[in-house]
Parts: sequence; C-alpha cells; structure tokens
Amino acid sequence: MNDILKPGQTIQCEPSGMPCTIEVLLGAGGQGEVYKAELAGEAVAVKWFFPQMATPEQRASMELLIRKGAPSEHFLYPMEITTAAGVPGFGYIMPLRPKRFKNIVDLMKRTIEPTFRALATAGHNLSHNYLLLHSQGLCYRDISFGNAFFDPTNGDVLIADNDNVSVDGAAVLGVLGTPRFMAPEIVRGEALPSTNTDLFSLSVLIFYMLMVAHPLEGKKEAAIKALDLPAMTKLYGKEPLFIYDPNDDSNRPVPGIHDNALAFWRIYPQFLRDIFIRAFTTGLRDPINGRVRESEWRGEMIRLRDAIFYCPHCSMENFYDSIALKANGGNAGLCWACAAALQLPPRVRIGKSVVMLNYNTELFPHHIDDRRMFDFSVPIAAVSTHPVNPNLWGLKNISNDKWVIKSADGVIKDVEPERSVSLTVGTKIQFGKIEGEIKI
Amino acid sequence: MEMKRPGGELASRPLHFIWIADSSGSMGDDGKIQSLNTAIREAVPHMKKVAEDNPNAQVLVRAVKFSSGAQWHISQPTPVADFAWADLTADGETDMGKGLELVAEQLKMPPMSDRALPPVLVLVSDGQPTDDFEGGLKALMEQPWGKKAVRIAISIGQDADPEVLQKFIGNSELKPLAANSPEALVKHIKWASTAVLKSASSPAAGAEVPAGTDTANVPIPIPTAAPATGTAAQTGTQNAGASTGTPAGTQGDPNDQNTIDDVW
Repeated sequence: MNDILKPGQTIQCEPSGMPCTIEVLLGAGGQGEVYKAELAGEAVAVKWFFPQMATPEQRASMELLIRKGAPSEHFLYPMEITTAAGVPGFGYIMPLRPKRFKNIVDLMKRTIEPTFRALATAGHNLSHNYLLLHSQGLCYRDISFGNAFFDPTNGDVLIADNDNVSVDGAAVLGVLGTPRFMAPEIVRGEALPSTNTDLFSLSVLIFYMLMVAHPLEGKKEAAIKALDLPAMTKLYGKEPLFIYDPNDDSNRPVPGIHDNALAFWRIYPQFLRDIFIRAFTTGLRDPINGRVRESEWRGEMIRLRDAIFYCPHCSMENFYDSIALKANGGNAGLCWACAAALQLPPRVRIGKSVVMLNYNTELFPHHIDDRRMFDFSVPIAAVSTHPVNPNLWGLKNISNDKWVIKSADGVIKDVEPERSVSLTVGTKIQFGKIEGEIKI
Repeated sequence: MEMKRPGGELASRPLHFIWIADSSGSMGDDGKIQSLNTAIREAVPHMKKVAEDNPNAQVLVRAVKFSSGAQWHISQPTPVADFAWADLTADGETDMGKGLELVAEQLKMPPMSDRALPPVLVLVSDGQPTDDFEGGLKALMEQPWGKKAVRIAISIGQDADPEVLQKFIGNSELKPLAANSPEALVKHIKWASTAVLKSASSPAAGAEVPAGTDTANVPIPIPTAAPATGTAAQTGTQNAGASTGTPAGTQGDPNDQNTIDDVW
C-alpha cells in the first residue's frame, strides 16, 4: 500500500557506494520492511527500518555486525548499510533466503514432513551456528519459530533476522524475545536477553522441532481457561514446570490435548529424554550454570542421527536405545508406526558412539576422529552390498586412508580405499586413530 | 503427504475474532460503508499472514452488524484462512446494544469452549446508539469470555460517541481509535486485525506493565508502532522499552498528521 521503497528505486550501499535496485516488497515485520533487490547482478534482500526503529544505536549495532562479519554462511547476515536520497532512516543488504528453506511454523503445522534424520541434522546445525555466534561474544536474543529456517530434505539451516544480534550483556533496549521461547527469568522481568537466555530458547526450539509440543505445556496449561498475559506469565515465568520432570508429575501432558508430547516422548532413546530433562529442570532454575550448552546439543543430535534404524515391516525410522535394550533382555521392541517387532541392524561401536549400519548409513570424519568438526559433506565410509552377492553387506572404505581389520578369529587384513569389509560380528576396524567393532 | 513421524499438528487454542459493525443509515453517507468494506477487505490478507505465523492460535472470524436491530452478518466462526468479507450495506438505526447482546449470546459456554485464547472484539461505529447500549454491554460483560475479551473500538467520522465506545473498551488507558479519513480507517482496521490479533495469540509476558494497565489481560501494542506505511508488529517479537502495554497515543499517530484533518 504505502511501502517505504518503490520497485525500480535505486538505493546506495555504504561504504562501497554500489547502487542497489529495489524489485519487490517481500514482507513487513515489527521493525521494518524487507525487499527483494538486485546488487551487481545478484539477487539480495534489503531490510529497511521503520523511522522509529532507525536510531543511531541501531545503526551502530548494524555496523558492528557488518564489521565482524557473519559467523558462517548459514546466517542471513547484514552485508552493507543502505541509504536512499529522500528516504528517512536506513536499511541493510543481506543474502536472500533460498526457497528450499522452511521455517519452524511449517513444521508445527505439518505442512512439511521431514524425516527424524533431517530434524536431528537441523538441530545439530542450528546448535552449531548459534555456538559460532555466541563464540563471537554476541547473543541472538530472539531464537524462535519465525527466524530459524531449515531444508526439510537434508537439515541444512539458515538463521535470519540477525539485526537483533548484539554484544552479550549489552542489552538495554530492543527485543525481549518471543512468548513461549523467552527464558523464565525474562518472563519474570528479572533479566534481559543474553547468551544464557538464548540457550533456554534454543532448548525450547529443539523440543518443539522434535516433539511438536512445548516443554512446559501439560496439566497446568490444560487447567487454564483464558490463556492471557497473567496466565502466560505464570506458566512460562513464575511457576514453570517441565511436563516430564522426574521429581514432580503434576504437569504431565494431558491426553486429548497434549497428544504430540505423549506420542513422541516414548519413542526417543533415553539419552535424549535425559538431556531434555536437564534442559527443563536445572536449566529452568539455574540460568548461569544449569543450561544445556550448544556443544552438548550438537553431540546429542549426532547421537540421535546415529541411533536411527528402519522398521523391517513399514520402513519408518525408529531409535536404538541401548538402555531399553538391556532392560528388555535384547528385545528391540515394537515399531511406533506399525507395531511390528523391530529388528536391529548390525551396528558399529567406535569409541563411545554407536552407529546403526542401515542400508544407507554413511560414516563421517567426526566418527573416527573426535577432534574433527561435524561435517556431513564428505563421508569416509558407506554401507555397501557385495557386487556378486547382494545379500552380503559390507562397510566400504571411501576415505583416502587404508583401514586395518582384525576378524573375530584374529586374522588381520588391509582394507584399501574403495574396498569393503563385510559386516561380520566381532570384526574390529582400525580406522587410523580409533578402532571400531561390528556388533549385532 | 506421507507422515514420517507420529502425532499431528501443534496443539492450538481457538481465538475468536468478531467484527461488530455499524450498518446504520448514516453509514451510507459519504461512502463510509464502502470505506469500511474496503478497509476490512484490505486487512484480511494481512490478518491471514499473522495467523499463519502463529501456530499456537486457531483464528476464527465472524461478524455482527447492527442497524435497526442486529444480525449475524457472517454467522459461522470461520477459519481465517477461509475467511472472505461480505460487503455491508447501510440502512436504519444504530442498535449497538442489540449487536452486543448477539455477541454475548455466542460467548456463552457452550457454544464457546472453556479453553481458548482471549477473544478479540472490534466495534466500528459512526454514531450514537439508538437502543439500550448499557443493557447490551452488561449482557456482554456478564459472560466470562466477554470480560476476558480484548475490546477495540473504532469511530468513523465526527458523530460517533467516544464515551459509549470508551465504555465498551472498559479500560481508561485505551482510547477509541478515531478514523477521520478513509486512510486512517484502513490503518486502524489493519492494526486491529494484525497487531492486536498477534498480541492476543501470544500475550507477550516479560515487559513491565505500565501503571494503570495492570488489569489488562492482553498487552495492546500501540498503533504508533505501526508506520504510516502500514503493517503493524507482525514478527511476534516484543520490544523492551517500547511501551508494549501502553495504550497511549492510540489516536495520535504522528504519521497520521497528513490525513487526520481530511473530511469525508
């Protein structure tokens, strides 16, 4: 209607002086409008702040982010300040979000249906990127549904709306966060956004992604008639209680209302339940030392990925849970989807981690070297079948390094790159720095 | 789509949004009713976008019209994604009280569920009530959902009764919005159907509640946060320092100065 900038209008980048041509309004938020634009032949996005938001402080804050640069290519980060003749205020250039990235709202409404593997990968990638941001001494301040994007096919992520990012501890004015994601101490009015409160919001985001439910919405939420401000302050601030607090069962999910929490909680492995319990018990009460750190989420998301195996009957993803397996005398249980008896695939134990060897499993550098960063771009091993006997499964060496294997009866052999070792129980694979063992 | 994981959509609560529109004869003067129809049509897509971004709320929209008597104009609580405005026509008296009575009946439990988000009631009028307004308001306020509702009033032109609209709002800190021009009407209608809807979907805790508004159950974002260019707060984020709960300035958007003196 009355957009600040017009299609075809030219604005200037600072300090480069490059002209940028506005194409179309993409949307408006509380702070400004976002346009698609063209800069030197490339499609970019331009955010223009509303006049009351275009303060000198905001500009200084944007210039700081531009100077520091994006923590990684997974941020839609400000690149240059923009101004325009005759238009008050300023804006900034950032990369345009490719359409393959969807927000968490789509996931909540089930209009996208990613696999557990893609979700765990996205959870890992988000944790990793927020850690990169926090490592720069910055905090995000508003981790929530609308500004974390992921590709439902593979778990790639993009973090948008970075203009709230500021130096940790420097928050005075500006965004407090989004209801249901804000840390309880912010809801109570006792704290301002910081890296520690980001950690709480990240826990909520991961819980939402994996459970399609809120960690504090159980019996207490069900008992509220009008969910208004006083009710929300109590639920998320003054009396927050995890729905699966092991020491207090007064806020358990209510069947018919909180069905997702009930459906998902039981199908995940115990280690994931344990980290959620920590995030929403000590993590609720001790903002400084009690919260789950991003590096912990990163590790647990990898562990969750590695625990996935497929139901032999309906091929849905299920999770390996060593604790439940022991408790049930080796019985893998029933598929959550079709209730068929599950059958575990062979697996490889490498150091502390256990990876299910499904037909499509790949191992990555971090699996065989714990100093390596998680990187899913170049696998070093893949499950394969024998070229002559397709019923014979193996693990193919697709790294550049030779493996040395020792079979259960003590015979030692080399596995050169492009060769496979058959999945035989008890076979030990020396990957170089670390040894793995095939188990069933 | 093939489901790959258990469960369903995120649990949500209904949020009833009800237009209470004056369709009296005077609304036929100077194109006022056409302006209102346009303003609501203009706001609907923005309203849909706000609702899309808030998976915790299931927004249901309907409308009451009052003139000589009152009637449900759009009777079914319609999911906002499917909502289409039907144009009003102007004729008759200004039976605002009967309009409120109709709303009060529908806010009883049942048909209302006992768990919901606070309803949003937007009253739009250009004149003085010609019936028992007090009786209608009393009926509304006797309903728990009437009391809990976020009540917004928009006056069109110079003849509306600000005192009556203020009583409907029931919060001295929040003033009726004066739409003295078609532009202002478009803007106020859009604000009510986006920023207020957003706030009722997700009442933002954490901000200090300014004195005098501590009884408010939903913080009403001030229209000054909405620029002349249109869209009010839609991102769902809440600003510290910005007076999120302060209704001051509801009539005095500085961006409005060019249009406020326009005469219809």
